[in-house]
Amino acid sequence: MPTATSPPAPVNRDVPLVGRQALEGPYVLLTFRHPEVAGRARAGQFVMIKAGTVAEPLLRRPFSVMSVTPRDDTFTLFLKVVGPGSRALADLRSADTAGCLGPLGRPFTLPPEDHEALLVAGGYGIAPFVLFSEELRRAGRRSRVFYGGRTAADLQLRAPFDSGEAPLACSTEDGSLGHCGRVTEPLSTHLDRRGGPATIYACGPDAMLHAVAALAAERGVSAQVSLDPWMGCGVGTCLGCVVRIQRSEDPRAKYRCACTEGPVFDSRDVLWPGEVSSRARRESAAVRG
Amino acid sequence: MRLGVDLAGLRLKNPLIAASGTFGYGVEYEGILDLSLLGGIVSKGLYLEPRDGCPVPRIVETPSGLLNAIGLQGVGIRAFVKDVLPRLARHDTAVFVNVCGDTVEEYAEVARIADAPGVAALEVNISCPNVKKGGMAFGGDPRMTHEVVSAVRRVTRLPVVPKLSPNVADVTVFAKVCEEAGADALSCINTLLGLAVDVERRVPRLAFGTGGLSGPAIRPVALRMAWQAARAVRIPVIGIGGITTAEDALEFLIAGCRAVQIGTANFVDPGVYERVLEGLAAYLRRHALEDIGDVIGTLRSPSGDEPGGPCA
Repeated sequence: MPTATSPPAPVNRDVPLVGRQALEGPYVLLTFRHPEVAGRARAGQFVMIKAGTVAEPLLRRPFSVMSVTPRDDTFTLFLKVVGPGSRALADLRSADTAGCLGPLGRPFTLPPEDHEALLVAGGYGIAPFVLFSEELRRAGRRSRVFYGGRTAADLQLRAPFDSGEAPLACSTEDGSLGHCGRVTEPLSTHLDRRGGPATIYACGPDAMLHAVAALAAERGVSAQVSLDPWMGCGVGTCLGCVVRIQRSEDPRAKYRCACTEGPVFDSRDVLWPGEVSSRARRESAAVRG
Repeated sequence: MRLGVDLAGLRLKNPLIAASGTFGYGVEYEGILDLSLLGGIVSKGLYLEPRDGCPVPRIVETPSGLLNAIGLQGVGIRAFVKDVLPRLARHDTAVFVNVCGDTVEEYAEVARIADAPGVAALEVNISCPNVKKGGMAFGGDPRMTHEVVSAVRRVTRLPVVPKLSPNVADVTVFAKVCEEAGADALSCINTLLGLAVDVERRVPRLAFGTGGLSGPAIRPVALRMAWQAARAVRIPVIGIGGITTAEDALEFLIAGCRAVQIGTANFVDPGVYERVLEGLAAYLRRHALEDIGDVIGTLRSPSGDEPGGPCA
């Protein structure tokens, strides 16, 4: 339930497609005109969107806002075509419209001033980090990006990081690009070598998020993870996207909506599959110091 | 042009009501749409105490539909009355509380607390398919249906509106039982019990196993049942099931429903009320009608006979 101090409400409107750029494989960049999303969206927030040209699938789907251009009232999504809904979006032509509600959810929050931000993306999970890198740069924070996937073809969104302001470390499980192995390996190496404090930000498949959370806990580094459960409405009414969260003040875990209380959560609060309590984990971490 | 309807002593500004479980407690949509556009809002199902609901996955999309097993996660009736009702009072719309219980006594106690200033009516949930006690177990047994509805009737002077289950052989039996037990109107229908299987893993796609099917996929079934119920009783029927457009709403109104609820369509597009209201007004203009009441219960058969009769 939203409280009286909730941020401005998301805006529901039909938005025209104003730009489309096909990348390799199933990936495409789509730009829509939506003044409120363009003006207000923060990294980690998302929109619920569905092509206006089709009846099926029935529901809108959540997509992270990849970037915004407030002067044009536009925002861009990074889309991987995986089913009929994303196919219909990818097939939109200029001026076709999509039903779109946003911006939604709680964004990533900036690290303390002396922290280096370590952005960890699995494949498609790179999308919010384009906007977040920009926010970090404007806030004068140092950052670096760890971008992993099964193979080089999964790492399609490297161009936005070409400037080198945020060093980009790619890794692939088949070794076709960058480090051969999982994205948590170069992250772990960097955590060993770093000179100062750091905050981790992660977006990607659940297994990767779980591994990042475990690594962060082991090294005593705080981590914000962006979860991506199946969502029906985006505003906390269908209760379909709940995740088990146990904050330090909670005596027991509660189902919380990823759409309204997330999608970004403190990794310490998330109960991963099989976990009964985050309290035991916190206590053992406290003992290790 | 008049879109207002009378329902069980209530005057609704129009026949569109947000269905329970698809509109939260209403306040989630503040700022996204003008809640005063709606004839009414039905709250998420409420028990005496807060509830966690089912494990995940809880929802899965199926062709033209949504299969859910949420399990009535909710804040409990006391938190609703204390925290939500004052905020809903800012909006000019009728508030229905969806009353749940594991026992007959709990239904009555929730109803007693829900009978609070700002509440227009009580919808009695005897049809949720996703709970182990109460819910559909009560709504699938005429004797239990009578007991629950009577118990709620005894503790409130607000209109009592049982929400019927489609998962029965003859919905008219339950419609009549509710009328006898003192119901003022009926909501027809709740979700249809369904199952979806993950063929790779060979497990149900919902953690609860089965779920309730909603959305356009169920509309013809829902329409048939609402129509049957409306013919079986004198109290008004609120039609529910897959309504997404003005034409869908008109189907239910023409079939004899005094009002309709919009459910799954809220998830698809919260702007649905504006569109449907415009569509209803356009229909009235096109048919040179002044009042939405002139549409209600006007179903004819192509031959001029009552539909549902024997085939010639």
